[in-house]
Amino acid sequence: MKSYFNIHTIWVALILLTLSTYAMGALGFSGLPIVIVLLLTAAFKGVLIISEFMELRGVSLLWRVIMYGWLWTVILAIAITYALTI
Amino acid sequence: MNTVIIEQEPKLLPGDLAIWFFIFMELLVFGIAFISYAVVRVQNEEMFNQFQLTLNTELGAINTIVLITSSYFVVRAVHTIKNHGDYIGCSHWLYAAVAGGGLFLVLKSFEYYDKFSAGISLSANTFYMFYLSLTMFHFLHVILGMIILLAIAIKAQRGGYSASNHIGIESGASYWHMVDLVWIILFPLVYVMR
Repeated sequence: MKSYFNIHTIWVALILLTLSTYAMGALGFSGLPIVIVLLLTAAFKGVLIISEFMELRGVSLLWRVIMYGWLWTVILAIAITYALTI
Repeated sequence: MNTVIIEQEPKLLPGDLAIWFFIFMELLVFGIAFISYAVVRVQNEEMFNQFQLTLNTELGAINTIVLITSSYFVVRAVHTIKNHGDYIGCSHWLYAAVAGGGLFLVLKSFEYYDKFSAGISLSANTFYMFYLSLTMFHFLHVILGMIILLAIAIKAQRGGYSASNHIGIESGASYWHMVDLVWIILFPLVYVMR
């Protein structure tokens, strides 16, 4: 993924994942499995932005723990609250 | 035969360390706000689901694509200065990213106009309080990010950065990607998930 050209692929992947999120909303999908898919999609997009756009791949473990820790904590907390209601 | 093990030093954080402390602080605030939205929703599920349907998901999705594309332009700007030392090309990518931010603000303003003209405000109900405060807080970050990008674009255009000196561009880029990262979670959370 270090190749410069892969940045284009990541951009396209992020757009396609956004369209899939929109499609699930537009089709009226709801429920816990859908919420989990949406959250995993958001998390995957977040990982791509942190590692490839922010270029945090290969930096000290501390910085990666802070960034990915923030991402997964937020995603997990949201998932738990939705699991409580659905 | 002796084996030599070479330990690879971790890469340095791109940009200035100070901007990263600022980014971590911003992420903490947004993280607390997102979790608060989700926790309050537990007690008001029906209301949140009902009023979520009044949001313009199409504009939300278009704005997500606009921000992602703007972030991609910033990545191109960083590559252009780092790999080629082309400060003019770099400034063009940065101006394109600023234009992306501007488009985001215009589209978001349409959404706000629609809501405000329907008499919706922060005090309308708990859902709109969260929707307006979360998105407006993000809106302000987009404006700040655009100011930062514009400042480094002008400096780049004047030859203020080179292949060996581009910490300022990396700092601005990291901040802009943070603005994008936050929206990546905000969009499905507020507009789609139910």
